[in-house]
Amino acid sequence: MKFTIPIGPQHPALKEPISLRMTVEGEVIRDADIRLGYNHRGLEKLAEERTWIQNIYLMERICGICSHSHTTCYVQGVEKLMEIEPPKRGLYIRTLVAELERIHSHLLWLGVAGHEAGFDSFFMYTWRDREVVMDILEMISGNRVHYAMNTIGGVRRDLDDLQVKKILDGLEVLKKRTEYYFKIGANEPTFVARLAGVGYLSKERAMDLCAVGPTARASGVTRDVRKDDPYAAYDETPFDVCTADTCDVLGRTVVRIKELFESYKISEFLLKSLPAGGIAVKAPKRAKPNEVLSRYEAPRGENTHYIKSNGTDKPERLKVRAPTLANYPATVEMLRNGFIADIPLIFAAIDPCICCAERAVELVNARTGEEKALRFSELRKLADERFKNPSLKRNAVWPF
Amino acid sequence: MRLAVFLPELLRSLFKKPNTVDYPFKKLDVPKDFRGTPFLHPEICIACRACERDCPAEAIEITSVVEAEKKFKMIIHNDRCIHCAQCVDSCPTNPVKAMEIDHLFETADFDRHNLKMEWEFVRALPKKEPKPAAAPPKPEPPKTEPAQ
Repeated sequence: MKFTIPIGPQHPALKEPISLRMTVEGEVIRDADIRLGYNHRGLEKLAEERTWIQNIYLMERICGICSHSHTTCYVQGVEKLMEIEPPKRGLYIRTLVAELERIHSHLLWLGVAGHEAGFDSFFMYTWRDREVVMDILEMISGNRVHYAMNTIGGVRRDLDDLQVKKILDGLEVLKKRTEYYFKIGANEPTFVARLAGVGYLSKERAMDLCAVGPTARASGVTRDVRKDDPYAAYDETPFDVCTADTCDVLGRTVVRIKELFESYKISEFLLKSLPAGGIAVKAPKRAKPNEVLSRYEAPRGENTHYIKSNGTDKPERLKVRAPTLANYPATVEMLRNGFIADIPLIFAAIDPCICCAERAVELVNARTGEEKALRFSELRKLADERFKNPSLKRNAVWPF
Repeated sequence: MRLAVFLPELLRSLFKKPNTVDYPFKKLDVPKDFRGTPFLHPEICIACRACERDCPAEAIEITSVVEAEKKFKMIIHNDRCIHCAQCVDSCPTNPVKAMEIDHLFETADFDRHNLKMEWEFVRALPKKEPKPAAAPPKPEPPKTEPAQ
């Protein structure tokens, strides 16, 4: 006998709203249905009303964890549209902040994975040590979350020698800590046993379903925009693409820890070979009519922004495809034939960022299954009607 | 014994000072690039409205008070400000910026209207540029130079 049970929309695995509907047969999940739309903010429409400069700050607010990813992706596209080339030093600093952000995001995810697997001391350790990289980011940019480092034509904050020394010291501390995590993971049999074999995604299915980022790399797919289509300073930076072939949550954890080491290596290389010169060039106010697709390897996977300009100081269209959205089909595949108890672990393993992925809303009639887009005035009318005819008793009092 | 791996960490943490500070009595220094509250040097402002145009939060408002005297009024709505310091980057005045940002972050208030800041000033003449005849003056292209 099959049942459908809802997981979410409140707090399914992380503290963000998404609804997962599981068709279960006993303890085993036979099918999964992902419903989005609880966190839609209309950012793409808003972006069409703002100038190129104002949009940087709007893009930054798509996501709190990968704020630099979205701005870099956007700014790269706009630079291509405006036909300007940022100076070398600016690109190096941009890449450095991107790598530091990857470190902070992966450390955060490791903590979440530890927490979901019931290994809370791991969670406490990684989140404590994440403070080191957060302090570095605060020192560089002045902010802890929304760094606001990017501007069209370069970056906004320069590095001096003292800062470079402090960052290198911080990275040294982080490197030691990450080695320790690697050792803990290998030494703790319960942790490994909890992760191994959970959420299987074969290499072929990962390719078919267009999985991105660490999810794809853990299935043995060498897919990394930094290597395949280098942007910023990655074409001059030596690094390896980390993969694992276990195709499960353990592989995703190993890939992320390996990527941490790669990020330390990249950051050190960038700091030691930081070229001299300016950090930004002057950007024009308008962009010629054209279109561009910008790609960026965010900590969670490939992030793309499609930007269309029409000769004014505002974009005509801005489409954001966040990495989480690309990983949803693969998540359904991973959940299938798994156990109910593994749902939070599997879902958290793609490092979901729900608010990144919420780009459009379509209304579905629950009775007929009919789908349609509504105007705002019609929505307003529906809301008014609903308010006038409440199905629940209002002003009810506690009966004692 | 797998637990032995955790022992050095446990012992180190036992004898460490707490990582937090006693906030209202002890304060941490903010980094040098910190973005606090924006403020205006009214004697340098040329009223080009670059900051008003580029502000992503629409927190800056520049209005002309007496047009003949080139008198302007600037209001910064700190309740709307997102502290991105784009106004500082956009300000074209050289070498001292008319728009600057300080290190103040404890700006909470019970009423959001108290967060409003106002300046009334006579427009300064832009350096090296002839005085434009018509008021309001034409907006200048945004500058994307580093703030510091």
